[in-house]
Amino acid sequence: MDHQEEQHPKGAEHEHSHPEKQPKQPAEKRPFHKHIGHHARRIHRNVTKYLYERDTIFATLWVFIFIFILGSIPLNLGTLNPIKLAMKDFDMNDLSYAKLGKGSDSGIDTNIVVINIGEAKRDTIALMIEKTASYQPKVMALDVLFDGPRDPLSDSLLSKAFKENPNLVGAAQYILDTGTHELSFSRNYFKDHVHNYGFVNFPADDKESIRNFFPVKKMEHSDSILPSFTASILKHYKPEAYEEMEHHGDHMTMINYTRRATQYLILEGDQLLADEVDGSILKGKIALLAYVNLNPYNIEDKKFTPMNDKFYGKSWPDMNGIFVHANIISMALEDNYVKKLPLWATILIAVLIGWLHMSFFIHYYLENHIWFHLVAKIGQVASAIFFVWLGLYLFDRYRLKVDLKLSLVVIIMAVDVIYFYEAWAVWMHKRFNYRTVFKPHHH
Amino acid sequence: MKKIPVLLLLCSLAFAANAQNNFLLYSFKGNVTVVENNVESKAKVGRSLTAASTIKLAAGGMVTLICNEAAMFTVSKAGTYALKAFGDSCKVSSNSITANYVKYVWASMTKTGDAPGSNRKAYMNTVGAVSRSINNIWIDPRLDTVNFSGIGADFPLSWKSYTEAKDFEFKIFSIDNLTTPVFSSVVSKMKIPISNFASKLSPGKSYLWTVSVRGEENEEMKVLNYVTRETAAAFLANVKNQTAGFEAAAEESYRMGFMMEDGHYLPEAWQYYTKAAAADASNVLYRSTLMSFKKDYEIK
Repeated sequence: MDHQEEQHPKGAEHEHSHPEKQPKQPAEKRPFHKHIGHHARRIHRNVTKYLYERDTIFATLWVFIFIFILGSIPLNLGTLNPIKLAMKDFDMNDLSYAKLGKGSDSGIDTNIVVINIGEAKRDTIALMIEKTASYQPKVMALDVLFDGPRDPLSDSLLSKAFKENPNLVGAAQYILDTGTHELSFSRNYFKDHVHNYGFVNFPADDKESIRNFFPVKKMEHSDSILPSFTASILKHYKPEAYEEMEHHGDHMTMINYTRRATQYLILEGDQLLADEVDGSILKGKIALLAYVNLNPYNIEDKKFTPMNDKFYGKSWPDMNGIFVHANIISMALEDNYVKKLPLWATILIAVLIGWLHMSFFIHYYLENHIWFHLVAKIGQVASAIFFVWLGLYLFDRYRLKVDLKLSLVVIIMAVDVIYFYEAWAVWMHKRFNYRTVFKPHHH
Repeated sequence: MKKIPVLLLLCSLAFAANAQNNFLLYSFKGNVTVVENNVESKAKVGRSLTAASTIKLAAGGMVTLICNEAAMFTVSKAGTYALKAFGDSCKVSSNSITANYVKYVWASMTKTGDAPGSNRKAYMNTVGAVSRSINNIWIDPRLDTVNFSGIGADFPLSWKSYTEAKDFEFKIFSIDNLTTPVFSSVVSKMKIPISNFASKLSPGKSYLWTVSVRGEENEEMKVLNYVTRETAAAFLANVKNQTAGFEAAAEESYRMGFMMEDGHYLPEAWQYYTKAAAADASNVLYRSTLMSFKKDYEIK
């Protein structure tokens, strides 16, 4: 192929094609703002010159066809792909907690007081409930599952504590009956004595980060619902917040983590029983009685959360379950729910980003092919850095979760698809006289 | 009319200057009391305090406070503190995700990969075995017992640390009271001269000393005998008399130094080794012994 022709297929439009038409002006004499304007115009031309060409639009379309085809292969090709396996539980927003200091300036949530029950047995837990109740919190919640009877004396003490405190929320686990497909509560031996309870399960397995929760679970054949632990607490503490949470219904709702364990007030149960606590801190508040251990090497009841200091690869669980509940409560009280961009908007953004990049890449592919790969790689890296920042910024500033993974995949694939598209367009040109900016040549 | 905005601005500034910080007692350890309105009471977790309050912290105590429901800070040095003095600790730095992101990307892109093994502390700290009662401080067994009389030169008690600790807590107890130290100090160097606390000790008594990384515990204790001058002089005379025959001055000093070290009179041993090396500067043994003695006991 004639290289000159490849570089200037639309010679009349190219600035260097007619140097005599432009008055020669020494660069050092050009004012600074004109320098900037000149480069801005050049970049604008690089991006938009081929923007409305049918080749750009069809090449972008081919990128999505490839993504669709690769995604539709019924084989799990990621099994042997360590990167895919490592990224399975990866969310770009985790970076903002681990490395960018998100949440560190959130302050203490004074609506919530966590009481550490430690390794206390049932009778001691009963005493802690009574002591907490004496300080008149608006609602108490006990994040403990009781699997069966134990010592009768301890059981009766705890049963009495449950009965006598109508503002106490108990924990249970919802299970789906495989026969009847009915949901029911389980693993709370004192279920019949508790005035209120909610389920504490999260829709994630033990090895995954807890990112979502179900506010309520709806029964299949009736209008009745099973409330989550946090929904039950909010029902007593702030009914408006409960209604808002119930409004999210039986759908996975993203948790907006704002605080680590040390950003909640933690009282030791032993200190509470020994009167070493100023009870006024509990009055009118939410008292969460649960197991707390801030030792990072103790992983009992610890969950992986997006607030983990290590946001990729192998790590240790970082947060006791009660602080996951506390973060949900904080989110509901502050009305800080995360808004998720719908799928159609995510695809639309990917299409727009892919289209712009394709136009830019085709410009270099045709007119400055010698620089194409270098510019394309730099462009991919720069775009990745920019779009990751954009996603983090929107999440931090507007609580808007934008999944830009598809956009990044489109940018990465665009370069390879150009080669395929060129061959396809030339073949179409020969066969059907398809009009294209690509000319037959051999690389 | 133009004066009104200026007045409003001044009023706002005056209001901001007078705004008082509120504190919440988050946690405490040891003996901590709070003074409010001239009434002293025991600290309680969850207690709200104003800037006019004062906290009193006994030795070994620690208190964590939250200022304006945002900034958390800990005080661990014994003393009396007016909370109004903690105004600086109430400032919360706001995080800019964008600025932090730029810093993070730049740091990641400009970081060069280290070969494993080039940084021993970073790569070789993972051991394939359990540990039993190992703490982060190592004290040379030669310092198990030190006899100090005050006659000789000053002498340091030294240790080594397995961690990158900045501060160490030195405590010395009377042998009959291991609960309250007669002297404690936080030091940044890995040694402390005996003269720093000799005034707190009584001649003729034995003491136990320990050192730990600040915030940690170390149950290992070493003995420091503050011997009377008479006892030390008697021991010295006994050593001096154990001569087998004629000795040159350097020889005698070297023998004295060796025997004083063996008798745990380390300050005196140092003096005699120095004398020996000075008396016969050409003797390699005297010089090397003095140098290794100084190295072993961190004498500069």
